[in-house]
Amino acid sequence: MKRLRYILRRIVQAIPVVLAIVVMNFLLLQLAEGDAVDVLAGEAGSATPEYIAQLRERFGLDQPVHVQLVRYVTNILSLDLGYSFRQEMQVSELILMRLGPTLLLMITTLVIAVGFGALLGILAARGLNTWRDNLISVFALVSYATPLFWIGLMFVVVFSIKLDLLPASGMESIGAFYEGWDRVLDIAVHLILPATTLSLFYLAAYTRLMRASILEQAGMDYVTTARAKGLTERAITYRHILRNALLPVVTVAGVQMGGLLGGSVIVESVFGWPGLGLLAYDALFSRDLNLLLGIFFVSACLVVAVNLFVDILYTFLDPRIEVG
Amino acid sequence: MKRFARNLCAAAAALLWSTAGGQAAEDGGTLIMLVQPEPPTLASYLSTSGPIGQVTTKVYEGLLEYDFDLQPQPGLAKSWDISEDGKTITFKLQEGVTFHDGTPFNSADVAFSIGTVLKEVHPRGANTFKELESIETPDDYTVVFHLSNPAPYLIRGLSGYETPILSKESFEGTDFRDNPTANKPIGTGPFKFVEWKKGQYVRLDKNENYWKEGLPHLDRVVARFIPDASTRTAAIEKGEVQFAAFNAIPNVDAQRLDDMDGISVTTEGYTMINPLTLLEVNTTVAPFDKKEVRQAISYAIDRQFIIDNIFFGYGKPAVGAVVSAFDSVGLYSSDVRDYGVADRLDKANALLDEAGLKRDGDGTRLEMTLDVLPYGESWQRIGEYIKQALAELGIKVTIRYEDVPTWLKRTYTDYAFELNLNFFYQLSDPVIGVHRQYLTREIRKGTVFVNGAQYSNPEADALMDSAATEPDPKKRSVTYAKLQKLLAEEVPVIPLVEMDFITVYRDELKDAVVSPLGVYASFDKAWLAK
Repeated sequence: MKRLRYILRRIVQAIPVVLAIVVMNFLLLQLAEGDAVDVLAGEAGSATPEYIAQLRERFGLDQPVHVQLVRYVTNILSLDLGYSFRQEMQVSELILMRLGPTLLLMITTLVIAVGFGALLGILAARGLNTWRDNLISVFALVSYATPLFWIGLMFVVVFSIKLDLLPASGMESIGAFYEGWDRVLDIAVHLILPATTLSLFYLAAYTRLMRASILEQAGMDYVTTARAKGLTERAITYRHILRNALLPVVTVAGVQMGGLLGGSVIVESVFGWPGLGLLAYDALFSRDLNLLLGIFFVSACLVVAVNLFVDILYTFLDPRIEVG
Repeated sequence: MKRFARNLCAAAAALLWSTAGGQAAEDGGTLIMLVQPEPPTLASYLSTSGPIGQVTTKVYEGLLEYDFDLQPQPGLAKSWDISEDGKTITFKLQEGVTFHDGTPFNSADVAFSIGTVLKEVHPRGANTFKELESIETPDDYTVVFHLSNPAPYLIRGLSGYETPILSKESFEGTDFRDNPTANKPIGTGPFKFVEWKKGQYVRLDKNENYWKEGLPHLDRVVARFIPDASTRTAAIEKGEVQFAAFNAIPNVDAQRLDDMDGISVTTEGYTMINPLTLLEVNTTVAPFDKKEVRQAISYAIDRQFIIDNIFFGYGKPAVGAVVSAFDSVGLYSSDVRDYGVADRLDKANALLDEAGLKRDGDGTRLEMTLDVLPYGESWQRIGEYIKQALAELGIKVTIRYEDVPTWLKRTYTDYAFELNLNFFYQLSDPVIGVHRQYLTREIRKGTVFVNGAQYSNPEADALMDSAATEPDPKKRSVTYAKLQKLLAEEVPVIPLVEMDFITVYRDELKDAVVSPLGVYASFDKAWLAK
């Protein structure tokens, strides 16, 4: 009950924050030169001034900025994200289409990155300053420092062109139109390279964080106590230190989840993954403000939700933390 | 009627030739083509944005198709006849054609598509159909265009890319700019629209009821979107896709792929597009209002250097304002001032001296800004080359590279530029592709890709106006030769390179590029060898 009340309160608190984000984004985007009509007309090659004026009127761009802002915020309040004139579709429909692939890629990435990162961190901390520790540290450093697009392209060259094991790009085998389990398998195969590429980058951070966190916890009094009562080192590490050491990792994962939801333009573009990042990128360069604001809005909401989820998760990991 | 008969003969000959020549086509298979970038919509009647046409031309057809000499061939119109005075064009339509939704195709669809939809909302419609006064439909399979003046370019602007024929039923009584077919096109073409997974692909399936006997050969055409250039190259190398037009595979990879077994590169199929790299000069600001300065800049640039070093050998030095592809229809002239002469740098220096731009202590005559169109790295490289080339004349150049909307606004709304690196499509006729860049009435603030140079010369205007309405091809040639000579003297726009777009395809794909429209044709004859 207490927990439910807490969640409700947090949600109510989040509303003005999200609205402020919407207004700020809207005003910031007004600073960019040129508008959607310039881009559309530009792509068309040659357009008449009447056509351009008509477009502006249709998009509502002929109105003063404050009128556009009030109109947009009113729509947002009724959960209407508007219409993308460039793509001739509802913004909500466009975002929903891309949200699935983004979530799939991002959640897989996060699971791999946190899972393997934590594991490597433990291994490194347990063998402090041995060859194992050094090897893991070097690996983490190298994978963090290598540009994502380069890793991605090298994976494509090695695993799909040279070895011919995995598909080079896309989320599904285009042209095959698989159904059912064949499709699930097909998507899983396509997921391997992009998820691995993106994980390598984040994995490094979790490895370092986990290692440091374990080392810090290892010097705590409760570890000495546990050791005094005769527990094995293995039991101390996995039963006691690990749970405490995970807290900072979960915090960082929560923050990063927010960032990941926006999609990764680089990985999406290298692997042709149909995610939100590319959609936002295209929207920016075509000045498709409705779509861009819609993506920002959804991302903001998701970040708020994930943060709330992380706060709740704390109480499970460490029962001493209470909500309230 | 004589011309009518000749057209029929030509059509019959073309038909015979196409069935007799080459290997026997095999039916079946899925063609996956790369389209870059992903089109914003599939409304080719509303936007001429490049990638849209690559997809929609498989779905929508035009009244005519074209052979490599840019001569019209039968399409939805099985024959056509132009009256002696050039002011009446009569089309006889194919019978028994249906749209993908099952409604029959007839003259009402043509009259409605062209007279009502395209003339109003197509970005080039107002220009292409400027002289079209009325459309008459005496019966279901006859369409008559009544023109107020002869419009010799019109007959070349009726392809499925430029003038798609829509179904009256799905458009009548709707807002054309907000029609459901914008993302779900319904046409008469060899392939039917099935679905569009945004960010991934558009799927088109074979039209079983296609009116051309035995066509299309392919079961399915899928247009795939991959944003990263290196990944696109990998995809064609691996065979995940079979076809990529419009430099979707960058020039830098083309040579290597061409050398590989199973992959070929061609520059055919762009002679109704005719892209020309050029420099727009703002003729209203000093010192660029002096033609000597513009000529000097033109002399300074080594076109072949750009082709060899930046376009990887693809392209041809531009000679004048009209590209050489129009030679086949007699509209091109090479009798113009030659900017490629051996002593071009001496000439350029002399011209600048004459214009009163003397070198100062550092040898600098002038400082200026060059805007570069924000379409990728090759353009930046050309900008850097121009900077170097002009430095030799003592012109100090600063390069400015912005994003697309900012750059468009600067060039065509604010006119806040001096020299602008750009490229224009000259399309199927100079009236459509070239005039917009030089006519005084094409100085239209806020309209992009028109006369951004703000060049205004009554003599040039008169030549263009007479060429636009001259039905006699010989007289038209003479007028265009005069115009090209004049524009080469005045150079409000400095032509640089006739670009060659490249198409990369896997060898199992046959007969994909069969007309000057290239990827903008319907792929009805394309087939995959097993």
